[in-house]
Amino acid sequence: MIQDYVMQTGVNILLAWSVYIILLSGSLSFANGGFMAIGAYVSAVLTVKFGVPLILAAVLAGGVAFLFGIGVAFPALRTRGLYLILVTVGIAASVRAMLESIDYVGGIQGFSGMSGASPWHVVALVVIVGAALWLLSRSRLQRILDAVREDELVAASMGINVLYLKLACFGAGAFIAAVAGSFYAHYILFVRPDEFGILASVYIVLYVVLGGMNNLWGALVGATIMTLAPELMRGLAQWRPTVFGLLIVVLLLVRPNGLLPFRIPTTGRAKRRAVKP
Amino acid sequence: MLAEQIVNGIVMGSLYALIAQGYTLVFGVLDKLNFAHGEIFMLGGYIGVSSVALGASIPLALLLVMIVCGALGLLVEFVSFRKFRSHDAHITSALSSFAFGLVVLDLVQKSWGTEPVAIELPQTLRVANLEFLGVHFSLVKLSILGIALVLMAALHLAIARTSLGRSIRAVAESATSASLYGINVTRVIQLVFLLASALAGFAGVALAIRTGFASSDVGFTLGIKALAIMAIGGMGDLRGAFLGGLMIGVLEALAFQWGFGQLADTGVWLFMIFVLLVRPTGLFAARSSKEARA
Repeated sequence: MIQDYVMQTGVNILLAWSVYIILLSGSLSFANGGFMAIGAYVSAVLTVKFGVPLILAAVLAGGVAFLFGIGVAFPALRTRGLYLILVTVGIAASVRAMLESIDYVGGIQGFSGMSGASPWHVVALVVIVGAALWLLSRSRLQRILDAVREDELVAASMGINVLYLKLACFGAGAFIAAVAGSFYAHYILFVRPDEFGILASVYIVLYVVLGGMNNLWGALVGATIMTLAPELMRGLAQWRPTVFGLLIVVLLLVRPNGLLPFRIPTTGRAKRRAVKP
Repeated sequence: MLAEQIVNGIVMGSLYALIAQGYTLVFGVLDKLNFAHGEIFMLGGYIGVSSVALGASIPLALLLVMIVCGALGLLVEFVSFRKFRSHDAHITSALSSFAFGLVVLDLVQKSWGTEPVAIELPQTLRVANLEFLGVHFSLVKLSILGIALVLMAALHLAIARTSLGRSIRAVAESATSASLYGINVTRVIQLVFLLASALAGFAGVALAIRTGFASSDVGFTLGIKALAIMAIGGMGDLRGAFLGGLMIGVLEALAFQWGFGQLADTGVWLFMIFVLLVRPTGLFAARSSKEARA
């Protein structure tokens, strides 16, 4: 039981971070449910039909999603703002609809037969990704990303390759979502395309927005609260979904910038270094 | 057979168009997406079914649905859009309206159950047919199409010719300038939500009458598909939503006729992505500037 909570929370934290990474470069992606689906299905096919070990399969699935993410982001990044959001919604919907029509992976019935993931895989991954993001938040790269996010034109005029950075962020986000999806599939033992549609993607974005979009802790806190809140509301029994929905509406009204809206200052170390010589 | 399929496609397309016009009206004045729209459309079907079951005639049921859904639209505006007026808040309002939709969906499933609820139509209405050039048309479908077309024409005229319509166009152009000219922007936005939601409610009942039952998953299937159709036609463009709806309806019917029915859903989304990349103003947008909006 506790294991289930750890697993769910961990997977959702990773998914929230996968959106956060893409958001670092200023694009909001509703496609991450689709990236997760690709991870889940590719790794499941690799382990079940080809006998590849789980970790290797997860990394390979991540690689496939990385290439897919870059491949779809390259044309998609021609658009901006709400248009980009709609394109990513379209990507999530198409991935789901395509999986439903591929009989090799079971179509609408879903795919089963994989196993072997434990919550510790996911916990380890959360620690690794979290550490990487924390290092990133203290680095020069974070400031470059901030520049791109705040004003692309200014960033480009300062010699930053904006498209390259945005593609890298999309690829990295797709990779993490796919690896999280792989472990999820190998824990839950059975996947269906409709678990990963638009609904899943919207929830992932919701974790980030409710937690706060400006720092890595926001995504973590948002995902944790949103995963565990329905469990804490168990006493409400059948009114849970309604109360959950109202909770989201109220939270957005009370804290429109998320629970943890602050930014982590990145300049502290640079100043110290500048003073030294 | 083919002609019948095409007529079916046009009927379905007119419903898509009604829903898509709701999205596009809101997008036109606010530049925001209303994710609760699909669920309001879904609720319309249930209210229609229940009021018919309680003995209301179909016109009365339609009126009732449009009032209830319109009122709900006002509530969505108040809860999910009123506070998030700034341009940066489009994600917040989208997610907030999405959560509102979840609540509506859950309450509907509590009140009516998760199984589809059949509508009790008078037998005479159900079998009434029209024959034209050897093709059978069901009277119900044709009247749905007729009323939908009349409603959309009325909407178009109201926006193009009346003073209220002029206010809507002014707010779509620039809310700040409109308010300087003495237009009550909040009232205009409320009016837009009222119109959009009432039309969605009508589409909900029409779908329930056409398919014979109200079902709680149409908000998420057809409702979201209409969002893609709105983008295909041109975001914020009423004519685009109308033509886009009809086009997708007919194409879908033809896809089913020729056996690619499975691919229809994927096709709509891929088509939307393609249109957004190649021609972000949409296939049918009259003018590329903001003038075309609403």
